[in-house]
Amino acid sequence: MKKSLIQLLLSASTCLAMMATSPVLAGDYEGVTIDAKLIGGQQYEGLYALISNWESATGAKVNIVSKKNHFELDREFKSDIAAGTTDWCVGSNHSSFAPQYPSLYTDMSPYNNADQLAGFIPAMIKSSTIGGRLVMLPRAQFDVSVLYYQVSLYEDASNQSAYKAKFGVDLAPPITLNEFKQQAIFFADPPNFYGTQYAGKDEGAAGRFYEMVVANGGAMFNADFTPAFNSDAGRESLQWFVDLYEAGAVPPGTTSYLWDELGAGFASGTIGINLDWPGWSGYFNDPEASKASGNVGITVQPMGSAGIHTGWSGFHGFSVTEDCANKEAAASLVTFLTSEASQIAESAGGSLPTRSSVWDVVVAAADGDEYRTMALNAFKEGAKHAFAVPQTEYWIEATNLIFPELQAAILGDKTVDEALQDASDAVDEMMQENGVY
Amino acid sequence: MIYKKLPQWFLLILPAIIILAAVILIPLLFSLYSSFTSYRLTRPDTLFNWIGTFNYEKAVKSGVFWAAFGRTILFLTIALNLEMFLGLGLALLVSRVTRGQRMLRTIMMFPMMFSPVLVGFQFKFIFNDNVGLVNNALQSLGLSNSAIPWLVDEKLAMFSIIFAEVWMSTSVFAILILAGLFSIPQDPQEAAKVDGCTPWQSFRHITLPFIMPFIFIAMAIRSLDVARAYDIVQVMTNGGPARRTEILWTLIGRTGYVDAKMGYANAMGYVSIFLAIFFTIYFFKKLNAARVELGMAR
Repeated sequence: MKKSLIQLLLSASTCLAMMATSPVLAGDYEGVTIDAKLIGGQQYEGLYALISNWESATGAKVNIVSKKNHFELDREFKSDIAAGTTDWCVGSNHSSFAPQYPSLYTDMSPYNNADQLAGFIPAMIKSSTIGGRLVMLPRAQFDVSVLYYQVSLYEDASNQSAYKAKFGVDLAPPITLNEFKQQAIFFADPPNFYGTQYAGKDEGAAGRFYEMVVANGGAMFNADFTPAFNSDAGRESLQWFVDLYEAGAVPPGTTSYLWDELGAGFASGTIGINLDWPGWSGYFNDPEASKASGNVGITVQPMGSAGIHTGWSGFHGFSVTEDCANKEAAASLVTFLTSEASQIAESAGGSLPTRSSVWDVVVAAADGDEYRTMALNAFKEGAKHAFAVPQTEYWIEATNLIFPELQAAILGDKTVDEALQDASDAVDEMMQENGVY
Repeated sequence: MIYKKLPQWFLLILPAIIILAAVILIPLLFSLYSSFTSYRLTRPDTLFNWIGTFNYEKAVKSGVFWAAFGRTILFLTIALNLEMFLGLGLALLVSRVTRGQRMLRTIMMFPMMFSPVLVGFQFKFIFNDNVGLVNNALQSLGLSNSAIPWLVDEKLAMFSIIFAEVWMSTSVFAILILAGLFSIPQDPQEAAKVDGCTPWQSFRHITLPFIMPFIFIAMAIRSLDVARAYDIVQVMTNGGPARRTEILWTLIGRTGYVDAKMGYANAMGYVSIFLAIFFTIYFFKKLNAARVELGMAR
């Protein structure tokens, strides 16, 4: 009830603020229709309700021609590029997907001066700038994985004494990846309880591997995009996955799990510690949906052997197509949807902002809610260590070559060395074939 | 006017020719052409980048492609034979039922009515290692004390997919074979009984030859279906883990739509078509032989 009231007040203040601060004069785009292809889903819809405010302020109309999840939008965008039907104007974008569309979106720098961009977290603007062109503006949908854990495991006296006796240190949420692995194996009691779990396929698996490689002091690619993950850091990272699997500390099906299965897994109460996205925090603590509710702790993600925290991150945003008939109007809509006021309204729903000033508002709104405050503190700390995917349009294609090899090592079909060598060779061949070097 | 010079029969079938060309021939020729280019969905200009037989050479040299090709043949062979035996058994049982046969026939067709995507999700849940029905049942009954990785283990994963495929499509065989059973003339059966044939002898030498054409028709139809299998595998395992369940169309689908390499995907598709052509010719030859045996063809 209290949360709803806060959200209502935030939304109302947002509308007023937008009317007061909108740089666009009423009627500026009278008669203009902006066709938009937007990401759909419950957590994204709240922002779209505000579009009518922009329509009233500018006289333009927004026609949402497509609303799908990002994987479906990705296929649609690729089909549009192939068919040459890219004259719609505004599209949802994501930092992991953006490099794939080098010709689809226009540079938004001419429509946003330095002051307007200064409000965003600088790393986000850097990740949105591909080949020197600002191809998207971030909305309040920022993702970086933090560490979720079952509090009772750490409060249990027998766990504490057994852990101390075995490892000589006190039992506390892990600070390093090695501790993470050690504790996951310690907590595991298969098939009833598993220490942890991980995304085992698609970009999820490759992304987790990527952040481990960075945390262990390595890199996925060299500056010229030759593969660099077949290194000591790569071997250390892949061995981490293999060790957990061999020890039975993860569900045997983890190599076919992606975000939904992982979310459902932690919510089932059968997983001890879990690296996962901010969007799950509410669900995990919802008594109606999660057996772990009331027992969830959240803290910053652990760091690797190089002293660097994991931090593979992504964020959603909006872009304007190169073929849009009225780019200025489209850019105005994007500026509106990513403005401070819009971000305050959107993050009232629980998502994380991409503007520094909005963080303070969100933290203040959570005052008195112990769980939300803990979550936000963890996300804020986690966000400091965030880094985006390598900026190559072949990232998704590379991940499709890497993840089957990671799986092969995890399942014992190949050794760690063989898997990394094969993955590296395949990525190298793909990059050469695409003329990257 | 040119059209007045054209023969009337041609004018009459011209609309059909135009429609067929538009929906079949042109897309086929386009995909064939693009298989000789470096066409990427995200770079339309690459459609004009002619690279000769590079994509075909790459496919032919690719271990991943041939592994998927082999797995598809294995999948096809096991699924088709299992469906045939189970369908034959079901049809024989149902043909013996004297009351409520229509209802049984309708119930038998239920699995066919499900979308393959739905069947995929259903069996993905049933075979889930952690919260799945099968593992929970086995553990509750004390038959297993571990989480069996149905969708991960190399053999079990293929078994699970084949199980789902067989569950959905056995009734295709059953219905077609049942139609065959109904068309068998009663005279030879009665003559066999009078001559003292055992039920096995009657089945082997009278029933089976009569229903063989129906079995081969079902085989030909299903071989084309299974050779193009995609939905169930995509949903249940997406070809993984570690490519353990990768079949041709999950590989081609990912290459074309996720990696956007449509030229290469089309080249793999054309190589794969030979598989479908081979099975179709093989089963039609068998069908013809069965019809010759019955004196229905020469």
